[in-house]
Amino acid sequence: MSSSLKLALSCAACAIALTAMSTATSTPALALAKCMTGEREAPYTIGWANIYSIPTWMKQTQGTIEDVFSQLQEQGLTDELVVTDAEGNANTQITQIQSMIDADVDGIVVIAGSSTALDRVIAQACEKGIAVINVDSLVETDEITAKINTDSNMWGQLAAEWMVEQLGGKGKIIIMNGPAGVSVSEDRRAGATPVLEANPGIEVLTETNTPYNAAPAQEAMTSLLFQYPEIDGILSFGGALTAGAILAMDRQGRDVPPSTGENYRQFLELWSEKGFPGWATMQPNWLGGLGVYAAVKALEGEDIAAFVEVPLPIITDENLPEYLARAEDFPADGYIYSPYDLALFDEILGLK
Amino acid sequence: MTGAALQLRLLWQRNAGLYGLYLLLIALLAVYAWLHPGLLSVAGVARFTQNWFPIAVVALAQTLIMLMGGIDLAIGATVSLGCVLAASWIGDSYGGAALGIALAVGVGAVIGGTVGAIVALLRIPAIVVTLAASFIIGGIALLVMPRPGGHVPAWLSDGLAGETPTALVLLLCLLVAWRILQATPLGQDINAAGNNPHGAFRSGVNVARARIVAYAISGALSAFAGVYVAAQTGSGDPIIGGPFILDSITAAVLGGVGFLGGIGAFRGAIAGSLLLAVMINVMFFLGFPPVAQYIAKGLIIVVAMGLRLLRER
Repeated sequence: MSSSLKLALSCAACAIALTAMSTATSTPALALAKCMTGEREAPYTIGWANIYSIPTWMKQTQGTIEDVFSQLQEQGLTDELVVTDAEGNANTQITQIQSMIDADVDGIVVIAGSSTALDRVIAQACEKGIAVINVDSLVETDEITAKINTDSNMWGQLAAEWMVEQLGGKGKIIIMNGPAGVSVSEDRRAGATPVLEANPGIEVLTETNTPYNAAPAQEAMTSLLFQYPEIDGILSFGGALTAGAILAMDRQGRDVPPSTGENYRQFLELWSEKGFPGWATMQPNWLGGLGVYAAVKALEGEDIAAFVEVPLPIITDENLPEYLARAEDFPADGYIYSPYDLALFDEILGLK
Repeated sequence: MTGAALQLRLLWQRNAGLYGLYLLLIALLAVYAWLHPGLLSVAGVARFTQNWFPIAVVALAQTLIMLMGGIDLAIGATVSLGCVLAASWIGDSYGGAALGIALAVGVGAVIGGTVGAIVALLRIPAIVVTLAASFIIGGIALLVMPRPGGHVPAWLSDGLAGETPTALVLLLCLLVAWRILQATPLGQDINAAGNNPHGAFRSGVNVARARIVAYAISGALSAFAGVYVAAQTGSGDPIIGGPFILDSITAAVLGGVGFLGGIGAFRGAIAGSLLLAVMINVMFFLGFPPVAQYIAKGLIIVVAMGLRLLRER
């Protein structure tokens, strides 16, 4: 597990170094990030083009954006944060990004409502010298300053590897997925496939597909428990999914087997309370804050790589108490993300 | 009373319910232009109308069905299908592009006509048929393109949704075409079938045929909105049409189109869709935070409806 994480980290570092080198060779005098002209000056106006502001995960993400924004404001680097909510409508998001261009914001952070629909409007922003940083849900176009995300395939691979190790390569498991057809869900599952194929001793009893909420996952698991008297592990690709599964098992008085999950607060609390072997990773909410920071750094003339892979923070029995110690600071249905600061962002972006 | 005066009075009466909406629109557009002077340029108008255009076209598509006393829940899926077909079929040459657009719009017309035939001939309520159709059409869109992709040539994207106000011209063309259609016997049949189906039937109007044609035109319009979205975004997305269902109904109702059929006109739906489009921009430039935007949107819709109902009393 840790070796593959290191591999991922070094890969990301290589990619950053390579990009930096290639940019350096093509424009030796001035290595500006993509879309940057060097004409814009601090303090900067930053636009946050959100696709949907209602879910708790999004509210927490916005929290990190506001936090990083105000830290940069204290340094005199930013002065206004413009926030839009497309209410889940990619067409509205296009209109809102268009308005941000019209209002001549300096940087735009975007979580995309469609991987292709925003391409033209983002390219247009890039042409105007606006630093466009895309986080979490990514777009296709390369006419953008940078894309920042974790690796969903790695998420699934690391979870599956931990499960194989826990079961000693032999056992019956249930796989819990997010909704079918959603790229995050498909990618996490795909990452687990090679690991499971390499370990034929692991028998997959069945798989579930539910929204990333505890209630539907609990319902799905409840009916499966009657069907399968012996379950050795729950390979879940979502924190709320595992929480639902544990609640279902608890209600029937079943012991919880080794389970994977995410930094969803309820799951972490159940993990600690029931004491089963557990493992979790996360899509850190501070990707949003990192997006603001990357935009400002690009505007300040730093070279930002076209793609920045954020290493997945891992939660194990060892550091679980550290996460739960901070639980009170997070909403009950929220995600306890790993701590962040601007120094961590510098490290991830390969600056300094 | 002279003919001209009579004509004016008639015009006044026909638009009676819409003056409140028109005033609100003028006010919002004025605020928008004041906050964003860049709107008052050719490129500014082009950028604004291209975001408005798809909503306007689906509002027209919905109005046609609502005039027939139905409601179309398949509009969103048809937009998605038109979008992915355009992104798959449109070739790089002028001829290839024309063919691709014609095929995508044609598929929309055939689908609309089929839905219309089921509604008109089997007498199943439109809400049921279009709901079922929305799943089938949405499924086909996902089969054509399981995830966003495809390609629309850059010259077409720039031509339809670039710095020239092509969208505005297209919208005016659609309104003129509708006017011309209304002057034909078929157009009058459609009006009659919507207004008073029983009376129309007794007067020898082929109501079923009129309905099928109306649904086919509506389907073609929805697919064309999808084609436009493909050009606007430069690609296809199999689920991009979803939000258009609610937008089309909201725009039509704001524009005075009734749920029971026969009441309303295209100009109302156009005005309603313009309200929805301009609202997003005005709230942005006023700097409303997202939560306030939800509330403001609701209030503007209530005010627009209230003004109309007060005027109608």
